[in-house]
Amino acid sequence: MTGSKISKRYAKALLSLGQEDGNYAEYGENLKEFAGLCADNPEFRKVIGNPVFSVDDRKKVLNAVLEKSAFSEYVKNLLRLLLDKNRIGGIEDVSDNYTRLTDEISNIIRADIITARPLKNEAMDKLDAVLAKITSKTVKTNVEEDESLIGGLVVKIGDLVLDGSVRAQLEGLKESLKRGEYN
Amino acid sequence: MIRFASKKGETFLIVGMTLLFVIAFCGLALASGGGASDSGGHDQMMNLFYRILNFTLLVIILVVVVKKTSMLRFFGERKDEIKKKLEDLTKARQAAEDRSRELETKLGEFEVQRKEILEQFRAEGAKEKARIIAEARERAAQLISQADHTIEREIQGATERLKQEVVEMAALRAEEIIVKGIKDSDQDHLVNEFIKSVEKLH
Repeated sequence: MTGSKISKRYAKALLSLGQEDGNYAEYGENLKEFAGLCADNPEFRKVIGNPVFSVDDRKKVLNAVLEKSAFSEYVKNLLRLLLDKNRIGGIEDVSDNYTRLTDEISNIIRADIITARPLKNEAMDKLDAVLAKITSKTVKTNVEEDESLIGGLVVKIGDLVLDGSVRAQLEGLKESLKRGEYN
Repeated sequence: MIRFASKKGETFLIVGMTLLFVIAFCGLALASGGGASDSGGHDQMMNLFYRILNFTLLVIILVVVVKKTSMLRFFGERKDEIKKKLEDLTKARQAAEDRSRELETKLGEFEVQRKEILEQFRAEGAKEKARIIAEARERAAQLISQADHTIEREIQGATERLKQEVVEMAALRAEEIIVKGIKDSDQDHLVNEFIKSVEKLH
């Protein structure tokens, strides 16, 4: 919780700078890219996040990577600051918080759609429309497939979960039978 | 009883009384022998005189010995001692009798107490017995009740577990059937239904 709050503060700080110069979307992409780099290269992440190594050594490694990147200076400085404060390990949190904050100011909401079978474009459009309608925001969807749902789909928007899967219906039926509702 | 002012007076009296008795008895003896001859009478008188003298000396010796050896005092003291002992023994006997009576009384009281205690113990024993039996009965009833409850719970639990198993198996079977039979058209239908239900939320 505390780590998340701190990550949010860093994200807010960068966003305020991005809003000033109008490049907040680019900064968000930079953060995502760096978080992706860390996720794809656990060795790199271990080196820059391990306090066993001196801050200078770690900073040299980070700078070597940042010099080859096309990240904006603000983002680079933020990453160096995170390293100085031994919080570079929480880069994913910072990136997620930044995305959340940019979504808020852009009136965007992200929805995770988990479906048992691929959705047709027509169904997808309808779904986008209806989700936009109920949230009154622009919906950005992320679709994943999960055969264990058997049929139907599950939509997650923040804390809201809309479950229309056959798996959920079967579970409901099972619970009803256990409670003896069909005696 | 005649009491003398001193021991000396008492001694003189004894000696005097002795001589008086001797002379009196000698007179009687001489009177009884009055028919004898005159010469023979003189010898007899001398003989008597010697005897009296002998006897008197014997008495004096006896008196002196008795006096010297404190015989009288010894016997008097002994008498007093015996009298005292007798009195003491009488007192002791009386005390022993009193003590005996007292002990007999106490024995009687003890007997009564013994009987009372025995009765009390018997009564308490009977009471305790009744209490133990009552407790045992109550405990037995509790155990039976608990056992009944346990059996009831076990039956309910077993029924519930069986029901759960049946439901699990039924759900599993239903899932297998649905997985085998579901088609793309069913998925489309499910998605459309989901969209409609979401629309209704608005």
